[in-house]
Amino acid sequence: MLTSANFEDRQSFALRLVVLRVATIVVFAVIAVAFWIFQVVEHQRYEQLAERQHLRTMPLRAPRGILYDRNGKVLVRNTYSFTIAFVREQSANVNDAVRRVAAATGVDEARIADIVANAKKRRDPLYRPIPIIEHATLAQVAAVTARQVDLPEIVVQQLPTREYPEGGVAAHLFGYVGEIQEAQLQRPEFAGLELGAMVGQAGLERTYNTLLKGTDGIRTVAVNSRGREIEKLGEQDPVDGDRLQLTVDLDLQKAMEDAFRYSGYSGAGAVLDPRTGEILALTSLPSYDPNAFASGLDSASLNRLFNDPLKPFTDRVIQGTYSPGSSFKILMATAALEEGVITPDTTVNCPGYYDFGGRRFKCSRLDGAGHGVTDVRKALEVSCNVFFYTLGSKMKIDTIHAYAEKMGLTGKTGVDLPGERDSLVPSTEWANNVRKSPWYPGETISVAIGQGAVSVTPLALATMVSTVANGGTLITPHILKAVDKGDGWIPAGAAPPRSTFFIKPDNLQAIRDGLWRVVNGAGTGYNARIAGRDVAGKTGTSQVISNEGKKAAQGKTNMDLRDHGFFVFFAPRDNPEISGIIFAEHGVHGSNAATIARHVIETYFDKRDGKPLPVLPPPPALQKIGTPATATQGRATDGRTRGAGGAREGEGRAGRARLAEAAGGRVGG
Amino acid sequence: MIVDRRILPHLDWACVAALVALMAIGLASIYSAKWDFVHQAPGREFWKQLYAVGISLGVFVVCLLIDYRSLTQRSLIFYGALIALLVYVAFFGVVRNGSRRWIPLGGLDFQPSEFARVAVAMVLAAYFAGAQRLSRSMRDIAIGGVFLAVPLLLIMRQPDLGTAATLIPVFLGMAFIGGMRMKWLVVAAMVGLLLSPVAYKFVLTDYQRGRIQTFVNPELDPRGDSYQQLQARITVGSGGLFGKGFGGATQAGGYGFLPEAHNDFVFSALAEEHGFAGVLVALLLYLFVILRGLEAAKLAKDRLGAYLVIGILSGFSFQVVYNITMSAGLAPVKGLTLPLMSYGGSSLMATLAGFGLILNVRMRRFTN
Repeated sequence: MLTSANFEDRQSFALRLVVLRVATIVVFAVIAVAFWIFQVVEHQRYEQLAERQHLRTMPLRAPRGILYDRNGKVLVRNTYSFTIAFVREQSANVNDAVRRVAAATGVDEARIADIVANAKKRRDPLYRPIPIIEHATLAQVAAVTARQVDLPEIVVQQLPTREYPEGGVAAHLFGYVGEIQEAQLQRPEFAGLELGAMVGQAGLERTYNTLLKGTDGIRTVAVNSRGREIEKLGEQDPVDGDRLQLTVDLDLQKAMEDAFRYSGYSGAGAVLDPRTGEILALTSLPSYDPNAFASGLDSASLNRLFNDPLKPFTDRVIQGTYSPGSSFKILMATAALEEGVITPDTTVNCPGYYDFGGRRFKCSRLDGAGHGVTDVRKALEVSCNVFFYTLGSKMKIDTIHAYAEKMGLTGKTGVDLPGERDSLVPSTEWANNVRKSPWYPGETISVAIGQGAVSVTPLALATMVSTVANGGTLITPHILKAVDKGDGWIPAGAAPPRSTFFIKPDNLQAIRDGLWRVVNGAGTGYNARIAGRDVAGKTGTSQVISNEGKKAAQGKTNMDLRDHGFFVFFAPRDNPEISGIIFAEHGVHGSNAATIARHVIETYFDKRDGKPLPVLPPPPALQKIGTPATATQGRATDGRTRGAGGAREGEGRAGRARLAEAAGGRVGG
Repeated sequence: MIVDRRILPHLDWACVAALVALMAIGLASIYSAKWDFVHQAPGREFWKQLYAVGISLGVFVVCLLIDYRSLTQRSLIFYGALIALLVYVAFFGVVRNGSRRWIPLGGLDFQPSEFARVAVAMVLAAYFAGAQRLSRSMRDIAIGGVFLAVPLLLIMRQPDLGTAATLIPVFLGMAFIGGMRMKWLVVAAMVGLLLSPVAYKFVLTDYQRGRIQTFVNPELDPRGDSYQQLQARITVGSGGLFGKGFGGATQAGGYGFLPEAHNDFVFSALAEEHGFAGVLVALLLYLFVILRGLEAAKLAKDRLGAYLVIGILSGFSFQVVYNITMSAGLAPVKGLTLPLMSYGGSSLMATLAGFGLILNVRMRRFTN
């Protein structure tokens, strides 16, 4: 207590104490309000900021679905590969780190710097590992692991990768997987994916990406301020992609590709079941080894493949369009018979030439002689141009076009592969609206033997011949047989036929007989003859350049100017089980394609009957022709007669074929 | 040193309870912030702080039981000892984080500057109370200023601007309550304001200037100086109304986004785990302790006691308010601990010694 004498002092003292007390209370109240604002009013904002810095989600890549052939053999499976990745967050000086990483791995410094700069540009979070070496070799992994102390910013990840146990077999069919492109991110089928995701970029991998991709898992972890993982908060396991069973028969597929390599030709081939549209084998050559993609192709090799003049990436069976040559005569015969232009017994006399519009068109015989009295069976057998010129002169182009539609030679076949090109058989509508010049009847004459504006894919020709094989049903070729989403195989169901018309039995039999005689009679398909199998078919030869042009270009170009050869077929004649096409690029003549087809057809029947599969005899001169990706076969160089082409001369079969019809000129065989 | 049994009933048990509660909250926050994730055990700091609480309670009892008058009679001895220790530190102290503040004492570091507030408060109380006139003359202020300036400059040189700054409110509080003319206070405030740019330019180091700059403009350097400030705000804000729960911190604790979560930013750590509710409880406890201190000053039997209480309380209150403001990212980051809660034995010991004296004054209000 203060003394009473100091009353004034005491009063002032008490007053000042009150001031202090009030001031203290006010200050504390202000502080409380400030905390209220931060902790309650603005709580969510700060909570997000806090979560952003300590919660991290890492995707766990799901293995893609496995592909099986129709007999359960594995076609495409998964393996694991190492990815060396760079974590910027762990790096004090990114530029310096890039230098150290380049030195340790032997990868170009500028390349790594580029990858890191791209990640920075697309605003990746600092903690996200940037893949700098995908599919790293064990030596590279060892090099960075051994230097872990000096390379704190490097992590080695194990990621599932595609593996193709059969190497380059059916490479175009399977396609390949690649990092999603920026433009693809906008597409609905890729919704929810981020840059860096792997998606199917070609072939079945692309068509069935949604089924194959599976569901990526997510691992949520808490990290400390140095980015080190402190605890796992949750993990959602990745779900494997659906398993797919294909209609493809691996043995048949291999037989077809073997036969191509044996022949030395590149090209395309398709074998179907004409009753269902199931594709048993589908190939395009030259091809490439998809394993090289999956295991990270360096950009030089990639460029070499992309710039290869033989275009190994083009899936010729659906992306190449060619003039079908004489194989088109099947459609002409069918149309003329069904439209009543001819009966199976109508005959035309072939003098060896056909005069039209003041010009004389030669028939197909090398000696210039005529085929004489010819009905439709014989016309198909000997590929008589005069007979079909006559049909062409009696039919309208739109009638031919209508049958092309019914038999699958217009538009797309609808196969479950991406990037298919349209086939074209002209019509007056096409002439007026697309070509923008009127159709002349003289052009119909050319179309009648598969020339002129006719341009079709090999697979379209396969559906055309299948229509004859099954009596008029235009099947939709397809590859997916069944899907297993984890609870057993569920049949994918055959794609419904695009249209059906019933070819009258007499007409059908006449066509089938004619095509049987092509192989088993005096025709050009004898290379495909197999005793007891009743193979029916038709060759076709398609010019790359006119005869005059070929002479003019002689010795002036490196381009291969030899004609293409086709062989469309089905077997057995009266109850066909398989149908298909062999397209031998620069194969000179369709009979060379028939040689390839023979091995395929033989393999099919031997396998069906449980016999040992046929083996090709070792080629006499060539040990390795047309290895995939290098794709050297058939290249027209000055030395080609001494090189691959010269070797083929010694094969015998091909040589025989050439004798028979190679000089068929522009009208083909 | 004779303890009169009759004075014990006058001990402010409520205030003691509040002090103990605040220390307990501090211990809990240190326990959580320094949890050792590797060994799944409380960290070293928790145990050290627990010992410090024990020792400090002993110091508290000693400061409570010896009559404050006999202690302040010897205030020059304490003051002299303080100056001697600060000079010793200036030459032989241990350097940590670029600052020479500590005397190592077998595992525990002793920080003499923490005791400066109590020693200055004692010596100023003795001096002002001994003065003849009631209101402080210019001469009183000047001499008092010298008592203040010597330890202030020694501590600033360490450098430890934060602790040095807490001495000024000790002086101002006593001058204010001692009846210093308001006019002078206003003049002093004006002079201080005018001199601050000069001080900013010539007295502060680059490091200190940097902290002030980033406080004014946090975007200057988000990973550097303002990092702590930003993290403090995130820590507090993410706590929400009821907090993330004990041990549920993601900012403080083993995550380490908030540095010094057991020390300068212990209040942020509390705000994160116990939310606004926990903040409110701690704020009320501090307010209660300060108001009880003011009451002790009011009840003091003599001017000596009143001045002593106000001196100690001013330093304490300033430090509490500044630290809590800083812990919400509202003030430049300074190495200033939160009395009673922050990790640090010297700080706790000095604080409890101070409160021992405050309660000492209140307890002896009826004795002669």
